[in-house]
Amino acid sequence: MTVSSKLSGDSKQLVISISERFDFSLHQKFRDLYNDETAQGLTYILDLSKTEYMDSSALGMILLLKDHVQLHAGNLIISKPSDTVRKILEIAQFQRLMTIE
Amino acid sequence: MSQIKKGLYLSCLLTLLIWVNYLFIHVEMLFILLFSFLFILLLVLTSQIDKDKNSNNSAKYGAAMPVVDDELIHSVIFELQQFIHQEINIIEKELQRTKMLVRDAVTGISQSFKDLDNLSDDQQQMIQLLISHSGNMEDGQGGSLENFVTDSNRTLDDFVGVIINTSKQSLETMTYTDDMVAQFDSIFKLLTQVEGLASQTNLLALNAAIEAARAGEAGRGFAVVANEVRSLSVGSTTLNEDIRAEINNAKTIIAKLRESVETMASADMTSTLEAKDKMTVMMSHVEDVNNQTTRSVEELAIIAPQITEAVNIGVRSLQFEDLTRQSLESLQMNVTSLHEISDALATFDKNQGVAVHQQLIKLKERCQQVYQETQQAEDSRSVKQLNMDEGEIDLF
Repeated sequence: MTVSSKLSGDSKQLVISISERFDFSLHQKFRDLYNDETAQGLTYILDLSKTEYMDSSALGMILLLKDHVQLHAGNLIISKPSDTVRKILEIAQFQRLMTIE
Repeated sequence: MSQIKKGLYLSCLLTLLIWVNYLFIHVEMLFILLFSFLFILLLVLTSQIDKDKNSNNSAKYGAAMPVVDDELIHSVIFELQQFIHQEINIIEKELQRTKMLVRDAVTGISQSFKDLDNLSDDQQQMIQLLISHSGNMEDGQGGSLENFVTDSNRTLDDFVGVIINTSKQSLETMTYTDDMVAQFDSIFKLLTQVEGLASQTNLLALNAAIEAARAGEAGRGFAVVANEVRSLSVGSTTLNEDIRAEINNAKTIIAKLRESVETMASADMTSTLEAKDKMTVMMSHVEDVNNQTTRSVEELAIIAPQITEAVNIGVRSLQFEDLTRQSLESLQMNVTSLHEISDALATFDKNQGVAVHQQLIKLKERCQQVYQETQQAEDSRSVKQLNMDEGEIDLF
């Protein structure tokens, strides 16, 4: 599985896990994972612990996810990015838009 | 001599008698009498000794005269004079030489201190100029290296922003495209339904044609209608297929659109990452250079007055020249005194006619006179020097 999601037991957290390469090829599956989720106040956790490569389309996807999350009054957290990925996120100044941990 | 000895013995005896009187007899009159005797005897003895001594001296003199050779005295004094004269000349020469050396050296050192001061000033100005230039690299619009780096950094950030926005918009376009493809699929379903209708119509027309044939002559007109309906259904099927082909064409175009959107959305961030890293390094480098410059300026600001102070101390120390000169002048005076003595010795040799005794006395007097003059000069000089040491003297 290149992209997967798992809803927590209490239905308050949606964990989206991404494989090594986060690029355009994932966009359809990525969107499908959250597009049907319309519950309010949900915390979306984007797990990037396995991701090693990320291009600009990945950043675009994260921004679209952010739009979706905002629309449903949720919260977006990017979890455990590698050093390279963290650098890219910082260049894009995503730390201002969302929580990176 | 024997008289004096006798007198002394007598006085001893008198003293003994006084002691005996004092210790055993206790007669006051006798004490006074004996004491007066002793007193008178001692007075007589004193005058006798004086007289004896004078006659003794004159007797000795007369006896020694022939022993010391006048010639010898003359030659000794001549040698002495020659020796003193030569030493004085050497001392004078050395004095002059020392004076000159000190003067020249001090002039040189003084000049070099002034030069050093001036050079240090020049150096300071140059460094200030250099710092003001390096801190503000003018390009005609007041832009510095620091500003340039900051601007570049901002531009890079903007660039990254544009890339990400483009990606986001492309992905949205992609979503719309996908929706559009889904719409096409539903159109295909509708087309299938239309095809079903056409085949049913065809079947219906076929049945109608069979029924018309069975009716024979009476059904001839109806057979024509059934045939028309059939051809209509066939035309409808053809049209359906044409529409399907067109939509398939559109799907191919959409696939191409997908590709180009994908290219647009997927920009590799590696080069941007490297550029950003370089920019960070550059920024810290510029900051380091700025800090270094500031530190250097501060250090130079401290060093400059230190150089000036060192030069001032050097210049003040040159006062030693003045003091040394005074010392040398004083020495010169002592040498002059020696000259006078030497001259006095020289007259001794010339006036061979005058008795040696007279000349020696004169020489002695002259020596005392010069000694006193020198002593006075030395005293006044000491007082002057004391005053000088107390007062702070700044020659420059």
